[in-house]
Amino acid sequence: MKIGLPHAGIVLLIGPSNSGKSTLVRRLIEEGQILASEVVSSDDFRILVGDKEFIDWRDRPQDEAAGLMDEYQGISAEAFAMMDRVIEARMRLSKLVLVDATHLRSDDRKRYIALAKKNHVPIQAIVFDVSERVLTDRDESRDNPRGKRRIKQQFQIFRNEKRFIKKEGFASVYTVKETEEVEVFRHGNPIEIELDRDIDIIGDVHGCFDELIQLLVKLGYAENEEGLYEHPEGRKFVSVGDVMSRGPASLQTMQFFLKHVEGGRALMIDSNHGWKIARWLDGREVVLSHGDEKVEEEFRIFEEQEGSDAARQLKQQLKDFLLAAPSHYVFKKNGVPTLVCAHAGIRDEFIGKQSGAISDFCRYGDTGGFDENGKSVRNDWTVGHQNRLLIVWGHDPKPKPLLINNTINIDQGVVFGGELTAYRYPERDFVSVKAKADHSGTADNPLVEWEKNRLNPPNIGKFINGFSVLTDSAGEVRIPQELVKPAIDTVSHYTVPIEQLVYIPPTMSPTPKPSALPDYLEHPKEAIDYYRSNGVHTMIAEKKHMGSRGILFLFKDKESSLKHTGIESLGSIYTRTGKRFFDRDTEMRLLSELNQELTRINYFDEYQTDYVLLDAEIMPWNLKAKELISSQYAHVAENAVLDRTLLKEKLQAALPTNGDLQAWLDEYDSKLENANDFLEVFQKYCWDIEGDRSIQIAPFHVLAHSDRTFFDKPHTWHMEMNRKLADASRLFVETEYKVITDEASEAEVIEWWKSITEDGHEGIIIKPEFYIVRSKGKLLQPAIKVRGQRYLRIIYGMDYLEPKNLERLKNRNTGKKQKLALREFALGLEGIARFVNGESIERVHECTLGALAMESDPVDPRL
Amino acid sequence: MQLTIQAKGDNVKAVSYLLAKNPGNLYERNQKGHLVRMFYGKFTDTELEMTIFVTPDPVELIQNSGNSYDITHYINDREFAVSSIFLSLIRSALGTALNGQPKEEYAEWVAHPFPFTFELGPVNTKLPDAQLKNLFEPMGYQVDITRPEIDYSFDLKEQSTVRTIRLSGEQTLKDALRHLFVLIPVIDDYKHYFIDEKEIEKIGRYGEGWLDQHPLRETIYRRALRFKEVYELVENGEAEPAVAAAPAPLKKTSLNELRYAKIAKTAAGLKPKSIVDFGSGEGKLAVKLGFIDGVEEILAVEPSQVETMKALRRFEKVNDKTDFVEPKTLWGSLFYFDERLKGKDLMILCEVIEHIDEERLPKIFDGILHDYAPKSLIVTTPNREYNEVYDMDDHFRHDDHRFEWTRQEFRDWCEKRNHAGDYDIEFAGIGEEHQEQGFPTQMCVFQRKVNN
Repeated sequence: MKIGLPHAGIVLLIGPSNSGKSTLVRRLIEEGQILASEVVSSDDFRILVGDKEFIDWRDRPQDEAAGLMDEYQGISAEAFAMMDRVIEARMRLSKLVLVDATHLRSDDRKRYIALAKKNHVPIQAIVFDVSERVLTDRDESRDNPRGKRRIKQQFQIFRNEKRFIKKEGFASVYTVKETEEVEVFRHGNPIEIELDRDIDIIGDVHGCFDELIQLLVKLGYAENEEGLYEHPEGRKFVSVGDVMSRGPASLQTMQFFLKHVEGGRALMIDSNHGWKIARWLDGREVVLSHGDEKVEEEFRIFEEQEGSDAARQLKQQLKDFLLAAPSHYVFKKNGVPTLVCAHAGIRDEFIGKQSGAISDFCRYGDTGGFDENGKSVRNDWTVGHQNRLLIVWGHDPKPKPLLINNTINIDQGVVFGGELTAYRYPERDFVSVKAKADHSGTADNPLVEWEKNRLNPPNIGKFINGFSVLTDSAGEVRIPQELVKPAIDTVSHYTVPIEQLVYIPPTMSPTPKPSALPDYLEHPKEAIDYYRSNGVHTMIAEKKHMGSRGILFLFKDKESSLKHTGIESLGSIYTRTGKRFFDRDTEMRLLSELNQELTRINYFDEYQTDYVLLDAEIMPWNLKAKELISSQYAHVAENAVLDRTLLKEKLQAALPTNGDLQAWLDEYDSKLENANDFLEVFQKYCWDIEGDRSIQIAPFHVLAHSDRTFFDKPHTWHMEMNRKLADASRLFVETEYKVITDEASEAEVIEWWKSITEDGHEGIIIKPEFYIVRSKGKLLQPAIKVRGQRYLRIIYGMDYLEPKNLERLKNRNTGKKQKLALREFALGLEGIARFVNGESIERVHECTLGALAMESDPVDPRL
Repeated sequence: MQLTIQAKGDNVKAVSYLLAKNPGNLYERNQKGHLVRMFYGKFTDTELEMTIFVTPDPVELIQNSGNSYDITHYINDREFAVSSIFLSLIRSALGTALNGQPKEEYAEWVAHPFPFTFELGPVNTKLPDAQLKNLFEPMGYQVDITRPEIDYSFDLKEQSTVRTIRLSGEQTLKDALRHLFVLIPVIDDYKHYFIDEKEIEKIGRYGEGWLDQHPLRETIYRRALRFKEVYELVENGEAEPAVAAAPAPLKKTSLNELRYAKIAKTAAGLKPKSIVDFGSGEGKLAVKLGFIDGVEEILAVEPSQVETMKALRRFEKVNDKTDFVEPKTLWGSLFYFDERLKGKDLMILCEVIEHIDEERLPKIFDGILHDYAPKSLIVTTPNREYNEVYDMDDHFRHDDHRFEWTRQEFRDWCEKRNHAGDYDIEFAGIGEEHQEQGFPTQMCVFQRKVNN
């Protein structure tokens, strides 16, 4: 007989001792039909835990027999407990396991049935039905005979239980009389698909047939002679379900998919509407609502036109088709799962498995009961997604594909007048067509609702007790409660409106190690070494302007700003802590001038964007920091120069009468030089501000346009854009930069750094060629600053270069600064990506509030 | 940080005996890494000049004080200023002179006045020159104050913020040093150590014989003992010195008080069970609301930690009074949504809206009137017309005010906010009414229409 083994799950061997279970298993292993690791046997586990497969207490005095029986039972209990752990582990990993034990009692079997159910895997029974005679004969010839009485006992139980087994809930039951005749074969996992062709995953069609065809054509499919849509490269399209209901042509769409799935050109998964319609077609008592009633109406018209026979046949076909649609598909590349499609979502532990519970989850998502108004609460299942599989889903209409935590929602609500989206895999890009109209005919439009609520004030409850942000680039970033509160205070009192506060730039670490050279605290060598040792060989060195960091959020026009932020203005310019950079009037003038200049060079039209988000340095330093410069730097300089000048004069005057003073005089001579250099150096970053003409803006990152971010571009591209802007507007200035690729260019950069910093410039920033760089799975510092020897006087004190000072200062630790820099970087990218993607301002604010909170985490400000 | 002592005339060499420092040697002592140094610039029969100065260890200095997470902590004038740090470092070097205890053979010079000039600097103080003179002149000094020239490449400041002081006068060395040891910490804007009772003892000792007669005695004490409690210890028993230090009590009830009273009265009339005090600050209004009859819940919403702490202390003080409902503080602001604030009986925005950019208010008010939907809402804000009475020109009443409205502007604005017509609105004034300009504070009460 042939037995088909499931791809995963439990195969329970049932039969008394000597019925041939182990013999069969051994043969299958020897023949290579199953793996030795796919078998667990209670005998093996008894040896594993207790060294003994069997204990014979026959013919022993009563007290000894009792002791041996206790020992045997003890070993058995431990052996089974261990065995169950192994079985369950294999279930979780979707492995097959043949359980070799007698399983004579119903309770034993039910335990495994429950175990299989709990783990969403099938369970199969192979029953070894062998005569009592054969059993006892075999026992006599084995190494550890169980004894006639015991065999007889087992046989009795087996004979009584045998007939119940079929009804116990096994997926299949095979009864074996002659083990020699048994052959096995393996079923594959029907929901796992090897990606021998590339695929196009299509969001919820909802009967929008015209848009579906339009999308397929846009994707490159064309209709062949058999009326099937074919792709020249043999691609397949995959529906995430809900192809019907709500829209105008459900029947046609379902027929289209039926035809293509049957023809091997397409795949379709189960979904909430699909399941509802399937049960209706199956004659179940269901209420057709939420657009399902339109399907009924289409069938009625079909029947009118084509007759009841045709209608019955179509209903039967579609019913079978819909009921056969699996809960989800797992796509594999070279045998490795990489992508999952599930309609409303899936839990990681469900992937690759099938059960009623899994089907429900995939149809409806994580329904968390009802709120106080009786509305069902949709829990966010994406939060629980931990593994690296990409999950593509639909069900919940969002205006744009929503990427959260390695999941992508591609339901862009075509039936509600949105878009029909296709996700191309492995290309990982989107193709979409716009809806011809809002076909839903309902006032309850989720896209309108979404847009209406997008700019709602963030719910403080989500933040106030601390929170986590799931970032694409660095995973989960935790924001502890004690840092959140000051950040909320900042937002409540000082920052630009939350709707404009889409980005807080990350802090930047200096070189992780101090300079190895005696006269320097920082030197480019250590920054370059950091990147090289992490496998980055092309770097860019940009001149670091000394001013104040500024974020420029510039809109094409007031309408664009209203659309994206709900605020009618030309944009906003804010500091690294989110505060308005200029006073209102100056800001208004600058925004208007920048707008005119960008409009003049056709920037917004050329890039087809409503806005540009720029990361920049705004100069001069005294523009923002005049008060600090005056009360801190200038004041200290005046103190130092006065103190040291007076002492130098007094020492000089006394020198003729006391030659011993020479050493002190030399010391103060050099200290006075330090003080004068300090005084000179901060003035380098300041100039008189006569109207807006004196303001310079050096944008170094073009962060985003309304349709995309630019984190995939190399920094050379950002510098080119910088040049372009500098050419266009007198407010923008260019940033000098050099590329490091080898020893020679490295030496050139170091020379350049030396020469500009000796002149008093702040220093340079060294970045890896690309914006986001990882090494061994870890995000690298996006940039490292290397400040000049002179500039650092205003940071570490005018005398920091004195050997005894420098030696101590070199013990600085940049660890915390680096950690913060990475987290803030990840939060920055995430916030912008979310904003560009049209996500709710609450989801954007999560990132900016997080970055602001990080900024209240104390760290040595000199770093 | 340096002090130069010059003396001219007969017997000036005796000064070196008083100082107990050999003019032929350089003096250098290491004090916690800082070098205290002394040398004689001149030493003749008729002329003596001695300079004592400190070369501090800047790294050591910053490790031992202040808030290390603020950039200003690392670059500051403490390394240079003549200050209490300076005095504590030079005290033992000048101990003999300061205590007037030279070797017995020189004891006669202790009480001998010399024509001294003392030069000290850099001096860092906010006190004006005249005040500095007033501190030293009573002891018979001629005071000269100089500032270094400044020349910045851009418009930064009018004059240098550092000074040197030259004091000339006939003094005994001991007295003069004691004047300096008392007055330098008074002049300097900072103190580097915690001020406690020991400080009183020190001032008492060094101030003996001159401080009690000094016309600025009180100022000297107050500035020397920055902590009021310590100051009060000194003045114990004397006629109300502590009160003099406090601001004079206002004759009239302040506008703040009037405003809280009016709001509390209006609130009481609305008979609310639950009240939300938005932007509750240090909790002054919330406390008053806690006494309103029938109130069961007060939510005091405030985003600032400092203010919230003050509010909590305030609530604690009155907490044991009967009929007081302690307000619950909630962290939040009008820019966030908080579902705990929904559907309350009364919401109050007391002097809040003018701190928010005008264009942000419509959205906020839509949220209040439609999402929070309180039964009543009280809003107060300054009446700009009244600023005329205050003679304020075009200034706002507070630096952080983003706008101030006339009565008409406020009225129009409130009506506009009520665009859905869910509320009845009523206006009132708070404070002393002016015939033309109205009340200093204006108030609007929104009441939800019954069928809504």
